[in-house]
Amino acid sequence: MVDNSLATKKFQKEMNAGTASLVLLNVLNRSKEPMYGYQIAKLLEENGPDLPLMKQGTLYPVLRSLEENGLLSSMVEPSVSGPPRRYYKITDEGQSALKEWLEIWKQTKKFVDTILKG
Amino acid sequence: MFNTTEEYLDALKIEMQGSDSALLQDALADAREHLSTALAVACEKNAELKEADALKIIVDEYGTPEETASAYKEVERRTSPSLKQTAAKPRSALGRFFGVYADARAWGALLYMLIAFITGVFYFSWAVTGVSLSASFVIFIFGLPLALLFLLSVRGLALLEGRLVEALLGIRMPRRPLFSHQGMKWFDRLKALVTDKITWLMLVYMIIQFVLGTIYFVLIVTVLSFSLSFIAIPFLQEFFDLGTLYIGDKHYFFPAWSYPLFVFGGFILWTIFMHIVCGIGQLHGRLAKWLLVTD
Repeated sequence: MVDNSLATKKFQKEMNAGTASLVLLNVLNRSKEPMYGYQIAKLLEENGPDLPLMKQGTLYPVLRSLEENGLLSSMVEPSVSGPPRRYYKITDEGQSALKEWLEIWKQTKKFVDTILKG
Repeated sequence: MFNTTEEYLDALKIEMQGSDSALLQDALADAREHLSTALAVACEKNAELKEADALKIIVDEYGTPEETASAYKEVERRTSPSLKQTAAKPRSALGRFFGVYADARAWGALLYMLIAFITGVFYFSWAVTGVSLSASFVIFIFGLPLALLFLLSVRGLALLEGRLVEALLGIRMPRRPLFSHQGMKWFDRLKALVTDKITWLMLVYMIIQFVLGTIYFVLIVTVLSFSLSFIAIPFLQEFFDLGTLYIGDKHYFFPAWSYPLFVFGGFILWTIFMHIVCGIGQLHGRLAKWLLVTD
């Protein structure tokens, strides 16, 4: 028998790779204040507790690459307990990118739904 | 599975083996920030919770070291460091030779070498002042906090220098600061900083940068003036009637047929130098990586 769980895991990973950037950008676009990694992870958990879609640790490298591409900006602030936190904020470029991404997402969703319904 | 955050970080370090040391440092900084925040929140909610039990739940959500490491490697593979993609190089030898003018890395390295003169002077003064002040004030109570502040500033400067090196030389450097000695009393922290090899390597870099920065600056100015003088010979002789070669009281003019040779020679000299600059940039990047990044 073919190991389905491995294939499923791989599929899930590939799906996440695309959606994580969109989700993170959207979260930071809605938030009025800059947010740090743990805050974002908690927010996602509260909004979708039944969906263990992605491990929290995988959010950080995505945040990092979004920042590298100029869609987010970040700054480090010391915290009372533990190491300093990196706060992320969406940039103007990020906001215009998000608009385009949402459009792509809508089209993709519509397309996949239509095909799946047959 | 993991009793402390440090154990998780050690496991993550092992999983990241073989990947870039700067990427590893970033991954560790992110994990440290997340795990200790989550741990603090968990302990606040339930004071009786043991650290190991709380950590088990947190790691479950954060992902195993293996999963985390693969996420970083995946993202790093998709994004390249600054300036990594240089202009497509022409095939012919001649094209490759003159293609250096279209190579962003060569211009970046040239700019870096000029900046190194300024940063070198600053680093050197900062290091020498800091070390001598800290060392001589150690006999006073306030000498120790001063030493701690100075050593922390060295780490900050090292991060800044790393950003400069990555932006201009295209060598991958850490993008997150090193926060290794958190949660300690300040005296222990000072002890940890003093016994950490990387702190001293950073100081050595700050001293070396002064010497190298000066050498770079002299090199650039010398070669630039030679090239420009060669190129300027025809103009000086024809338009300003200035002799180029002075021997005793007499000055001599070069014959007109040699003008193209001088102009061409000056241009070639600078082109060769641009190639050398490119090489120096790479060597300097390696030095910076060796001295400023923990392994």
